Amino acid sequence: MATETKPAAVEDAKIDLFEDDDEFEEFEVDEEWDDKEEGKEGLQQWEDDWDDDDVNDDFSIQLRRELENNEKK
Amino acid sequence: MAYLSMGEAHRRITDYLSCFSAALLSQDGPSLTPLLLVSSNSPLLLSVAHALDVFSEWPRLVDQIDDQVQLFAEIVSPLLRCLQSFRAGQFAEAYVSFEKSANAFLQEFRNWESSWAMAAMYTVAHEIRILAEKADKELALLGKNPEKLQAAGSFLMKVFGVLAGKVSKRVGALYITCQLFKIYFKLGTVHLCRSVIRSIDTARMFDFEEFPVRDKVTYMYYTGRLEVFNENFPAADEKLMYALMHCNPQREANIRMILKYLIPVKLSLGILPKLWLLEKYNLIEYKDIVSSLKSGDLRLLRHALVEHEARFLKSGVYLVLEKLELQVYQRLIKKIYIIQKEKDPSKAHQVKLETIVKALKWLELDMDMDEVECIVAILIYKNLMKGYFAHKSKVVVLRKQDPFPKLNS
Repeated sequence: MATETKPAAVEDAKIDLFEDDDEFEEFEVDEEWDDKEEGKEGLQQWEDDWDDDDVNDDFSIQLRRELENNEKK
Repeated sequence: MAYLSMGEAHRRITDYLSCFSAALLSQDGPSLTPLLLVSSNSPLLLSVAHALDVFSEWPRLVDQIDDQVQLFAEIVSPLLRCLQSFRAGQFAEAYVSFEKSANAFLQEFRNWESSWAMAAMYTVAHEIRILAEKADKELALLGKNPEKLQAAGSFLMKVFGVLAGKVSKRVGALYITCQLFKIYFKLGTVHLCRSVIRSIDTARMFDFEEFPVRDKVTYMYYTGRLEVFNENFPAADEKLMYALMHCNPQREANIRMILKYLIPVKLSLGILPKLWLLEKYNLIEYKDIVSSLKSGDLRLLRHALVEHEARFLKSGVYLVLEKLELQVYQRLIKKIYIIQKEKDPSKAHQVKLETIVKALKWLELDMDMDEVECIVAILIYKNLMKGYFAHKSKVVVLRKQDPFPKLNS
């Protein structure tokens, strides 16, 4: 049995070589679109000032409780 | 399939040959291109394929065409054989015939002064890649050596050379480059991209902005992915952002693919995507990772990495995401520092190692003092934390001014 299943596994691996799940879709040769960066705010959804000193989120509240419990012990 | 008389088959093949010959003769690109779409389901080529099966003596008709293009028969005969094999589901044979035809076409193409046949060349380049992929799948299943995609790569390198060598045809070089990238990524031979990139990026003969936008976007997507693999995040950010901002907004699948690589890059640079973006492009596998960076919840980060491990490994971003752990440690220690500061500002800058160990234990991460000391040392070394470590008293002494520098500043 073991010898019979082996070749199949090898073949799978071979076929698997020809995969790139993230192959960019081909644009049509005559496909045209507005190339300007303006008006694409929908894609500018990034935060770089998120690193605040706020400790009122759930995780921080639990962390504070945990640290206080430890002190009491 | 509907019955096809011998006479009708004869007529269809002769029509195809006449159109082909006329297009070459009058250098009519738009008429030539549809005649090359072997792997498409174009009704025209389907009907020709049917006719070839009915009229088996078709090679005779090729000889009868009064062609004035030197290599007409060398281009068209193997092309028709390819069409026949392709429709019969014999992809390896189809590939071999197509490559012959493509080589003859390239030889003629080289001699044409203008770029009238550029769209046809694009079609040949695209077709050869698609045919090679199908051929290799067939060969692998038969236990034979799948080498056609590699061969298609060699052919496209020749095309690249021909295009790069002539001012009027240079504009087509980036399209060929993108086809090569697709081949190299599929074969896992991405190191081969390097020499093509070098000629595009450094050679004076190319002005990048002059290439068609669709090729620029594809090029930036693939070179951006290469920069991710090299962990060169500022360069990856620049390239993938270019692809993102110039991609056709209607092409949501492509935008999603760009984001799939851009998000880990941005995270590494300390920039977070808004939840809206993750939801809109169905990239929710990043949601918990983003939350963990915000909160300092190491357990959440580790869970997210385990949960989506296969997916992250497959796209090659796992190692990038794993390295975010240091940022999450920084965040956690910063939170401890702020909480201490609220209680007693005078002592806040001293963080006991023991406190960190306990916080980690609460997160179900069992680490001893030595391990945590090591993490702290790395954070200080990487400038994620400013201060020093008092080994004897097991205390981290933080700098009073801005002890946790921002990554992205």
